[in-house]
Amino acid sequence: MSIKNIRNFCIIAHIDHGKSTLADRLLEYTGTLQKRQMQDQVLDSMDLERERGITIKAHAVRMAYLAPDGQKYVFNLVDTPGHVDFSYEVSRSLAAAEGALLLVDAAQGVEAQTISNLYQAVDNNLVIIPVINKIDLPSAQAEVVKHQLMELIGCSESDILLASAKSGVGIPEIIQEIIDRIPPPSGDSQAPLQALIFDSQFDSYRGVVALVRVFSGEISEKDKILFMATDRSFEVEELGNLVLKRVRTGKLDTGQVGYLICGAKNVRDIKVGDTVTLAKNPALQPLPGYRQVKPMVYAGIYPVDSNDFEDLRTSLEKLVLNDSALHYEPETSSALGFGFRCGFLGMLHMEIVQERLEREFDQLIIVTTPNVVYKTILTSGEIQYVDNPTQMPAPGVLDKIEEPFIDAHVISPPEFIGNIMKLSNEKRGILKNTSYIDPTRADLHYHLPLAEVVFDYFDRLKSVSRGYASLDYEFLGYREGSLVKLDIFINGEVLDALSVIVHKEKAYEQGRSICQKLRKLIPRQMFEVVIQAGIGSKIIARESIKPLRKNVLAKCYGGDITRKRKLLEKQKEGKRRMKQFGRVEIPQEAFLSVLSTDD
Amino acid sequence: MNEHAGLYIHVPFCRQKCEYCDFYSITRLEQVEEFVEALLAEIALRAAEFREQVFQTVFFGGGTPSLLSEEQLERIWRALQANFQIDPGGEFSIESNPGTLTLEKLIHFRALGFNRLSMGVQSFNPAELRFLGRIHSVEEVRENFRNAREAGFRNVNLDLMTAFPGLTGESFRYSMEQALALAPEHISCYTLIFEPGTVFYKKMRSGELNPLNEDEEAAYYELAREMLEAHGYCQYEISNFARGREHLCRHNLVYWEHRPYLGLGPSAHSFYRKVRWANKRSLTIYIKSLQKGQLPLDFREELSPEQLMFEYTFLGLRLREGLDTGEFRQRFGMDFQEKYRSAIRKLAENELVEWRDQYLRLSPRGWLVADTVAGYF
Repeated sequence: MSIKNIRNFCIIAHIDHGKSTLADRLLEYTGTLQKRQMQDQVLDSMDLERERGITIKAHAVRMAYLAPDGQKYVFNLVDTPGHVDFSYEVSRSLAAAEGALLLVDAAQGVEAQTISNLYQAVDNNLVIIPVINKIDLPSAQAEVVKHQLMELIGCSESDILLASAKSGVGIPEIIQEIIDRIPPPSGDSQAPLQALIFDSQFDSYRGVVALVRVFSGEISEKDKILFMATDRSFEVEELGNLVLKRVRTGKLDTGQVGYLICGAKNVRDIKVGDTVTLAKNPALQPLPGYRQVKPMVYAGIYPVDSNDFEDLRTSLEKLVLNDSALHYEPETSSALGFGFRCGFLGMLHMEIVQERLEREFDQLIIVTTPNVVYKTILTSGEIQYVDNPTQMPAPGVLDKIEEPFIDAHVISPPEFIGNIMKLSNEKRGILKNTSYIDPTRADLHYHLPLAEVVFDYFDRLKSVSRGYASLDYEFLGYREGSLVKLDIFINGEVLDALSVIVHKEKAYEQGRSICQKLRKLIPRQMFEVVIQAGIGSKIIARESIKPLRKNVLAKCYGGDITRKRKLLEKQKEGKRRMKQFGRVEIPQEAFLSVLSTDD
Repeated sequence: MNEHAGLYIHVPFCRQKCEYCDFYSITRLEQVEEFVEALLAEIALRAAEFREQVFQTVFFGGGTPSLLSEEQLERIWRALQANFQIDPGGEFSIESNPGTLTLEKLIHFRALGFNRLSMGVQSFNPAELRFLGRIHSVEEVRENFRNAREAGFRNVNLDLMTAFPGLTGESFRYSMEQALALAPEHISCYTLIFEPGTVFYKKMRSGELNPLNEDEEAAYYELAREMLEAHGYCQYEISNFARGREHLCRHNLVYWEHRPYLGLGPSAHSFYRKVRWANKRSLTIYIKSLQKGQLPLDFREELSPEQLMFEYTFLGLRLREGLDTGEFRQRFGMDFQEKYRSAIRKLAENELVEWRDQYLRLSPRGWLVADTVAGYF
């Protein structure tokens, strides 16, 4: 296969704009996959991905295509995750391609996520092919979206393709444009090896499987290789292409996309964005763009039953094998016992980890209220980063606290600007600029404290804009904030897992709101339960739960003991899911939902 | 094993369904005779398996067993006698609705051998009777009760309902006083439960009826207990009160003491040799199965030792006497205190249970939260 006939591309799209369906159609049209073999949306292989309609982990597929002119082509579709939590992974996938299909829903138009990915693609010098999808929807506004696209990427109307991935309309044209407009890879096959790792997966038999794009040189099995960022060496065991499953080829040349197995057992040895080179004849420098991914959000994960701690550890060990972005280390809480402090890329990532632990590993867990990493400057001048509110230095030695800010773009139809500004203001946002992508799309540029965004900004943004606004952000830096630690007391004892860092001006309101929520969430017990919120030793809010008066079914005759027993067993199961704090039984939800403002 | 055992006959007919009741019953009275035929067939089918078992109690429940004709009752009774060993000194109860009990009928009940009568009174307030969907009048209660005494019933129970929407303290006190004035040997006082499938349940879901809150329910419950105990009725189970030990309902004790029972009739439940089963909750299926010579089984479950111990515990705790840990050891070969050590410790810390010799029982505050207590085991 000549390098001239290779096309490496990705699809940039907002959630639900039809990326997976388009990918399926391309697989079908190129004959990579027969229609009857297809399970809908083959690229999203985890159940969770399919349910949430998003691609969490990037994958790659190689398609062989015989063009009508008799030429054989190889298409490598590099798939990209579609959520703001995973923007670094997106950037590495983009780096592996020469072109991108910019897929926009004809009814929804351009969204913030799409724009930020598009800019990344442009920064990576990718050729952009705009495609308007779902043109057969009754609500399609192809003309409007065309103009948005023309403004956005400065293309002409004739550059824009119209398609309906669902019904197969426009697929042959898309394929032809991929051939005509996306350049083949360039690179010197004689130069030292430089291959980009744009994703990695874990195979329980083979260890880490790296997905790579070769930029220069070539690589063969048995080669001794070096990962330039982690400085680890391995011997290549297997090389090949991904054609939905792995197809061994023994070799990868310049321009090709494929997988690499080298006996690495730990995903941390093989980092997305790292460059593979040959140990004997290493490249002078790695490919640009590598970054150490740092968690943005932290939360405690604890077993409901303290005896399950080791089980949870084992599950986390297995889970990180295919989620290298997850960080964890053991911690203890006076309320929850032994558990783990876990770092996540964002809230979605956190939810995914929680669900995977519960579903795939059958763990009964409590996830505490998430928080960002605070930078504290002590009176001694020492700097400490704090990822757990309970470890906040004492006020006496604390000079100041800084919190992470993000640079955010909110894109929305103009009629919701008022709502969005109100919400962002409430979230301590600083409006930097307002611009218009076109008359129907405003771009609000904000600086926002990440802590405020972490909890419910995105959900509320969706609700105040009836689902139209979209958000994209990146880390900006640390800024000093007027912050205090808010503690929650249950019957006089600090429940450390509920401590949160809040803005001073909001402390009273949040203390009250947390106490009220807990009053609703904690069931009546055999005794009175007093819930208090305090800053230091000063109590700022109080609620109480009256003791349980009555819980007995009057009737237990007629012989139907089975039903009675099942009811009691169900109740016991509910009790088992609660955490014992002193004598008080606290349901799991209480630990997470305290800061949400829905209701 | 030949311990105390009970025999239950479910008669699934009512003139009118009460809106709160979730026991299986229908109003197609024209099917009574078909039912009786099927019941006789079921009795015959079950005879062999229970040949060795002596039954100390027989309970006709429903539904409204007093709707059966004298002749029908007699045939059933004769079949029971012919197929099962029934202790002649046993307790033989029949449930009834006031308004269906003529003196003649009651004399006949006595002649058949029934020695305990249970009357579904529920309230002495006509408006409340209508609200609950009862078809009898207050006057009929008094008259039927007099008839029962005249016919020779020396062991009569009245069912009373409490804590239903619209009830007032004054009205409940009045109903209680009226019941006490009749001086029955036994009173069952039930807090209303909104059972799925009932009209009341639907009305609750649609917002038409609002259940009382926990504190109100507790207050009615305690009022009932105070009044009954002040009049010499001893609370021997969560909802049951008797004047003297000799008037405890021996049949219901079979359930609470985790002893075997055989239930006959649609929807009837049975418990025998670690197995629980129930009949189909449909008269049509019940009749059809038996016409084909098959048992109308709905489900059958064999209980694990863990389940048996849990049942023994939560049922035993419903009794004032409490749970007999000596018997627990005998039955399960395990020490109760050792098995449930941490549960007992937590319950004792919260003053929900207390010991009396080898009996573990609910404390006065434990009574009202018996289900919560059960959740600890």
